[in-house]
Amino acid sequence: MGKLQERGFLKRIFAIRGMVQVLTVTFGLVMLCIIFGILNPNFFSGANNLNLLRQIAPILLIGISQAYVLITGNIDLSIGSVVGMSTMIASTLMSKSGINPWIAALIAMAACLVIGIGNGLLVAKCKLPPFIATLGTMTIARGIAQLANNNYNTDSIAKVLGEPAVQGFRDFFYYGSFLHIYNTIWIALVLWLVFDFFIGRTRSGRHIYAIGSNAESARLSGVSITLTTVKAYVVSAFCACVVGLILCAQAGMGAMDAGSSYELYAVAAAVIGGVSTLGGQGLLIGVVVGASIWGVLQNGLQFANVAIAWRNIIIGTIVIVSVLLDVIVRTGARGKNFKMTSKRNARNIILGRVKK
Amino acid sequence: MRRLVSIFVCMLYLTGLFSGCSAAKTESASAAEKDVKAKVYLITMDQMDQHWQNVNKGAKEVADANSDLVEFKWSAPDKKDDAQQIDKVNNAVSDGAKVIMIAANGPDAISSALKDAAAKGVKIVYVDSPANFQSEATFATDNKAAGKTAGEQMLNELKAKGVTGGKVGIINVKPDTTSCVLREEGFRSALKGSGLEILTTQFCEGDAAKSQDAAANFISQGCVAIFGTNEGGTVGVGNAIKASGKPVVGVGFDKSDTILGLVKDGTLLCTMAQNPDQMGKKGMETALKLLKGETITEKNVDTGVSVITKANVQ
Repeated sequence: MGKLQERGFLKRIFAIRGMVQVLTVTFGLVMLCIIFGILNPNFFSGANNLNLLRQIAPILLIGISQAYVLITGNIDLSIGSVVGMSTMIASTLMSKSGINPWIAALIAMAACLVIGIGNGLLVAKCKLPPFIATLGTMTIARGIAQLANNNYNTDSIAKVLGEPAVQGFRDFFYYGSFLHIYNTIWIALVLWLVFDFFIGRTRSGRHIYAIGSNAESARLSGVSITLTTVKAYVVSAFCACVVGLILCAQAGMGAMDAGSSYELYAVAAAVIGGVSTLGGQGLLIGVVVGASIWGVLQNGLQFANVAIAWRNIIIGTIVIVSVLLDVIVRTGARGKNFKMTSKRNARNIILGRVKK
Repeated sequence: MRRLVSIFVCMLYLTGLFSGCSAAKTESASAAEKDVKAKVYLITMDQMDQHWQNVNKGAKEVADANSDLVEFKWSAPDKKDDAQQIDKVNNAVSDGAKVIMIAANGPDAISSALKDAAAKGVKIVYVDSPANFQSEATFATDNKAAGKTAGEQMLNELKAKGVTGGKVGIINVKPDTTSCVLREEGFRSALKGSGLEILTTQFCEGDAAKSQDAAANFISQGCVAIFGTNEGGTVGVGNAIKASGKPVVGVGFDKSDTILGLVKDGTLLCTMAQNPDQMGKKGMETALKLLKGETITEKNVDTGVSVITKANVQ
């Protein structure tokens, strides 16, 4: 009896769209961990577990950003620049004007959300190709990051306020811990739970999947494409902003090029975790696995004393292999037509003609 | 259903985490018994510049001679990036490093991470670029003095050519890369009162291509001389002068094969060669002393520069 139930349980897991890839990649992640553990036993030490999870947290957050947008069938290239913008605005306000860290964080957040809304409107309302629209906002946001402190990295955020005043902020986002686990990890975990619930359990979440898999039929059944797209881009900007604040707390200052090329890390984390670049498919649990693979490689390769260049080669290979897996699974499901449709879809995405 | 799975996976993560935590204490005790070799980490700004490779070479030489005592590891971010370097430090600490030799990318940004590491008993030694945190010792070039030497070399050459006025460009790395900022300061102090006008400094992140573009812009603005504050910047300055074919005086910093080539063919007037191998070597020797519990007498050591010109280039 119990066995039967168990089989039903497994069957139901496998029945979830995209879960097969998540499980395959999880298997890969476990293998990686075992290999690194054998190469250097310190990899599994408690201290390193925490350290590793703290490094995964920001990648997970930007992974959520990109996953939301990818699921709507678009892409967000502005993530890295929004990270930089949030860091620079928050730290400039603190280091130059002596504004309370929390208020500075709120102002940074407001600015980032404006970029998010702008992205959404440009893509859905003005019908710009998402690649181009967010390329534009990416450059603008990086410019704002550079302009924030007159093209200089900021001084220490404690310069005007004093160490004790900013310690709370720095502890909240990076240095502090709760129940022996770093706050950064808690932040990522809580936000992940919230956004996983949002996309999986709410009507807005279902709309995000709907416009990603077939925008026209979603529109005909009364889904507002503009509103839904804006929502996805706002979630993206929100998470990117939080990462920016984490970097600000971590360094205790603002660096103009903070978060550079994070948007691509984010695509990697999401895609490795089974989020489809064609839209309509992807599970946030997959992003956890994708981000973990990234973090584990970063950390494990250092432990194994391997040059950093190898991480890039391995990550690139994993991205290709995991998407290949996705393609093979889909081809199996849809027959030979797939090749044609996927090519057309890919072209449409680049040209911005995604079923709108 | 999906949520159930999610929670299940989360639980897996957390159990792994907690088991790790509880096991940590016993693990580290047994690890200390097993590991007779002490881990010494060298963390540079990146792994690309020959400069860092030479620091590594110097350190490795000493480490190899004492391979029964130390296990040496070199790691660095793939580009100059504070957040990544902080991760590298945290990784080194959790790998059980006893001594970290570090070239700080941003002196403020890295300080908290180093403070955390020191609190866990890790000894910090600076090579090349110190941060704003008390370390055991620092082995670096006196960058201000070296920058001044570079400026004087440039002035002498301009005087010899009969140039008494004009614009001078500076290609720097980043506004918060202390070593290079100090070189610029020293350089500017040498040019003070010379009648030369120094244009706004261009920050090119040590990237040779970006530096070349910026240097080419300087040349088209009519600069008579350009100063590159690091390896990538110097290569960019040299290549831009070569491409323009104009008699612009180029003075650089660091030595790599490309830079030496540019000095040899007369494109660059000279380059300030640091002694990165000495930084690595002395840093590692200090690390060994620290491991043996000896006291460090020389806290702040200038590893010096030599001026390499066409005349003395090998």
